[in-house]
Amino acid sequence: MHPSQSANVSKAYLLSRCRLGAIGLFALLSAQALVLAPLAWAEATATGTETGDASCYVEGLADRLKCGFITVAENPDKPAGRQIDIHYAVLPAIKQSHPGEALLAIAGGPGQSAIDNAANFDRIFTKVRQQRDILLIDQRGTGRSHPLNCDSDPTLEPLALDDTALNIGAEAGRCLAKLDADVTQYGSLQALADFELVRRKLGYDKLHLYGISYGTRMAQLYMRRYPEHLASVTLDGVVPMQQSVLAIAGAIDRAFELLLRDCRETRACQAQFPALADDLTLVETRLAKAPNLSQSRDPLTGEPTPLTMTLGKFLGAIRMALYMPNTRALLPHAIHEAARENYQPILGLYALTLDGAGMAMGMHASVVCGEDMQRLTPALKARTRASRIGRDMLDGLGQTCAVWRVPAASADFAEPIASDLPTLVLSGELDPATPPSWGELALARLTHAKHFIAPHATHGVAFQSCGNNLVAQLVESASLEDLDPDCLSKDVRRSFYLNASTVETIPASAGKQTAAAAPAKEQP
Amino acid sequence: MIRVSNLTKHIGEVQALADLSFDAANGQITGLLGPNGAGKTTCLRTLFGLLTPDSGTAEIDGIDVAKDPLGAKQQLGLFPDPFGLYERLTPREYISYFAELSGMGRAEARDATARVITRLHLQDIADRRCKGFSQGQRMKTALAQAIVHQPSNIILDEPTRGLDVMSTRLLRDILKDLRDQGHCVLFSSHVMQEVAALCDKVIVMAGGKVVAVGSPAALCRQTGKDSLEEAFIQLIGTDEGIAA
Amino acid sequence: MLSKLLTLVRKELLDAARDKRSVMAGLYYAIGTPLVMCALFMVLIAQLASPEDLDIKISNADRAPDLVRYLGNQGINHSDSEDAAKIRLVISQDYPQQMAKAKSAQVTIIADNSDEKLQTSIRRLQAQLQAYSSEMGSLRLVARGIDPRVVRSLQINLEDQATPDSKGGMILGIAIFTMIYSVFISGMNLAIDTSAGERERNSLALLLSHPLSTRQLVLSKIIAVTLFAMLGLVLILLVSKLAYTLVPWQELGFSISISPQFMALMLAIGLPVALMAASMQLFVSFMAKTFKEAQSYLTMVLFVPLALSMAASYNIAPDALQWLPVSGQQQALMAFIKGREIPMLQLLVSSLATLALALALALGMERSLKSEKVIFGL
Repeated sequence: MHPSQSANVSKAYLLSRCRLGAIGLFALLSAQALVLAPLAWAEATATGTETGDASCYVEGLADRLKCGFITVAENPDKPAGRQIDIHYAVLPAIKQSHPGEALLAIAGGPGQSAIDNAANFDRIFTKVRQQRDILLIDQRGTGRSHPLNCDSDPTLEPLALDDTALNIGAEAGRCLAKLDADVTQYGSLQALADFELVRRKLGYDKLHLYGISYGTRMAQLYMRRYPEHLASVTLDGVVPMQQSVLAIAGAIDRAFELLLRDCRETRACQAQFPALADDLTLVETRLAKAPNLSQSRDPLTGEPTPLTMTLGKFLGAIRMALYMPNTRALLPHAIHEAARENYQPILGLYALTLDGAGMAMGMHASVVCGEDMQRLTPALKARTRASRIGRDMLDGLGQTCAVWRVPAASADFAEPIASDLPTLVLSGELDPATPPSWGELALARLTHAKHFIAPHATHGVAFQSCGNNLVAQLVESASLEDLDPDCLSKDVRRSFYLNASTVETIPASAGKQTAAAAPAKEQP
Repeated sequence: MIRVSNLTKHIGEVQALADLSFDAANGQITGLLGPNGAGKTTCLRTLFGLLTPDSGTAEIDGIDVAKDPLGAKQQLGLFPDPFGLYERLTPREYISYFAELSGMGRAEARDATARVITRLHLQDIADRRCKGFSQGQRMKTALAQAIVHQPSNIILDEPTRGLDVMSTRLLRDILKDLRDQGHCVLFSSHVMQEVAALCDKVIVMAGGKVVAVGSPAALCRQTGKDSLEEAFIQLIGTDEGIAA
Repeated sequence: MLSKLLTLVRKELLDAARDKRSVMAGLYYAIGTPLVMCALFMVLIAQLASPEDLDIKISNADRAPDLVRYLGNQGINHSDSEDAAKIRLVISQDYPQQMAKAKSAQVTIIADNSDEKLQTSIRRLQAQLQAYSSEMGSLRLVARGIDPRVVRSLQINLEDQATPDSKGGMILGIAIFTMIYSVFISGMNLAIDTSAGERERNSLALLLSHPLSTRQLVLSKIIAVTLFAMLGLVLILLVSKLAYTLVPWQELGFSISISPQFMALMLAIGLPVALMAASMQLFVSFMAKTFKEAQSYLTMVLFVPLALSMAASYNIAPDALQWLPVSGQQQALMAFIKGREIPMLQLLVSSLATLALALALALGMERSLKSEKVIFGL
């Protein structure tokens, strides 16, 4: 089966849950945000010995996986201190032809669980798995590995809440107090050491890396620190080491513009929404003045609820919808309706973002506060503040990081990666998080790298196109020689929704037709 | 020493043996002469315990075949008709196989095989597979098998059938040798010359019973004929099934 | 006593080893069968798997361009070729009208679902259309301010206990069947040669004229034939181990591997079966008058254990089969390879039954070799 995005509408969602920082940074890769509740740790024999392996199951995947964990010191400098378990899961190769190799797929976020996304990785890496194990590790602070979750205050009602009035610093403080962890120990470098220990324990000589979104940072660190254990690397939606992820604000603006451009250049969309840019500006201006207050229904329960539509919620919903081609297709209609003061489509999209896709926000803050926040240059800070969502993002993170107090990563952390490993860099032209220019940046000192840009993909090229086949080819040959990016250009665009029901051009007669007459008339 | 007493045997509707009795003594060559269907083969098979007689006994060196078949067969060597060679084995393998089956140890069998091969001048074919052997070569192999374990009694079923002159002479010499060594040699035949040339004692069979017993000369005398052939025809009352 | 048995067995084996026909019959089967099966499976896999790029014929594509592009992204494309027309997707004329009013728009798949080569592809097309439909349904709900999770009232989880090995159960059933079959085939020619053939060559009477018991004779022949059967089993196991790794099973989503543990178990379980097969074949051959006759009897008699084994490799078998000779062992082997617990009691019962049958046949043979009829083929 040709893998690509799942049946579910949405995929990558970030933490636009307002509590902590109000913003998610990198996108993550959870496919099933729309359908699935947070995934349960379904384990056949959950607890084993310290090194014991057990078979287990994860949601969405019928296969029996091999699961286990290693126990490490939370702080490597205090080996006798708090111990944490780093869990992993192996999707066993169908036919084990390369027992010394595995594909390590690294999830995004930061804060997402790789194991929770096993079904998605399994789907796109079907070919890889035919002959090699796929290794998933819940990075420290995520999933099952001592997660730093920040549960929201249950008294806060997200629909009614005015997030502009939220005290993010206090929320962060409340979360920190509840965590049984030294949050300074949950950065990428500590996690990298865990990954290497897992590799050694499982006895793989060589890993093929696949990093998506924030996962590309882990992959690049792996390239820098343990290149001798790598056979190939794929960076999908890459965050180059030189780049603070906070530059995402510019990428989001760019994605908004691309959306407006695509609608303008599509005949049906242009005909249906001839003034979409104006519509967007109108709503932004209106909501900037004051949130829109109305009575609505809870999207899930159907209970009546007051809805406070703020600019932050409006832009956040659009931003998250831009991650996936299928939700992106609904945006012109949603924006147009908002301009007509109908916020139902926006409410629907916003509701999709509410469970944060199982992100561990505490771990997210540990990474971003230590590795990105403190290297913002004044110029980037100014640019970010001028962007659509940059101000809220910076304010929120500023308050969170003040509480989190993670020391800044050393200056050489941001050095470009120098490597001669075969490295495939994939970017989606429409990516609202890691635009193609970031991929170019990542190439700076990679001597055996190719950068392919998928013109119709958003974030996570391997999930939306033939990119996954290119990864399989790279893994099989450990060489970039024969990779052909042509298939990435295949026209797989999704048509924009023209009303709440259809993506196909609405026939002139359809609107006027009575329901009863239509079928009879159209049957040949 | 072989003794057959009052053997009767029916095979299907046919009475193959009818109260058959005779002796074959050690140090003698005894010929069992009779036309086809006289019961010679049935008689010999009974001696080996392959057929169970309806009544009567067969004794080998005083051992009743019916009561102690293994003990009785221990004292026997058989030269069968047809030979029953294993075509994929060499004479050396074949002979020593049967030597072992007759109760010899491996080494003993090997030595005995080597001796009998020399004795029968089989050296040049001893290590070739039997497939494709001439009738003479087959006969010698079969004979070697019959005598390799030095049985006190040697039974030969139609031994000269299909043999050339040289082979026949060799066979005769060996049988005489065995006799001179004190073995009891019993052979069945319907070939007059053989019997005349070899036998110390002839048992003439017809219709499953003994018609006459004696040396060839005695039989001629008894019938008043000049040749054994004439005497034989006289004895069985027909010339059916006789070969000159 | 024992030395005579040894002499007999040694000779039988020497004789058999020099018999091209007996050796070849075993060898051809043991070496050829796994290779032929693997070749067949390779062809089959190539035919059964849906091609990575599936071409179908789409009518009225202009009515649903988004759907067509969606399918294209899943590797399902329109083509005008003759092959593509085997699966047709007809988009109804009123598709856009129905869609615009949020009604079900009709699409029709036209194909021959009995064509094995198409089945996977048809299912794949169906699944993708279903996925598209549910995606649109979800987005329609979103557009109305409703969380699409409300229509997914059940979340159905499947925890499949299968291992990659056990998923190949059907094929493994056939593989095990061929192995058990090899026990019967490998010794068969020798069994006939050493019994009916022995008599036909007149050496049986000569043998019996020697001071040895029929029990020794029967035992030696059973041992020789059993050894041949086991040799065939060892060979087919080795060849299978090599050959089965060459087939791209993973394309069907499972793997077939002949592990050393399985080989050991197969040999242990195969021994009683080989003893029984040898006794049965010798018994039947002694009953036949000639070599040819023995061959035809055996072909008929062989059908019984093979039918048992065959039945046991599919799930149509009644439960009683797990207690019977051959089928019981086959099911135990299949349980082992599927990673389940071996039904020890059943295995024990069926193995003992197998041995009992072998013993009965051996005793019957011993008796029959005292009969003039059998010795001389009267």
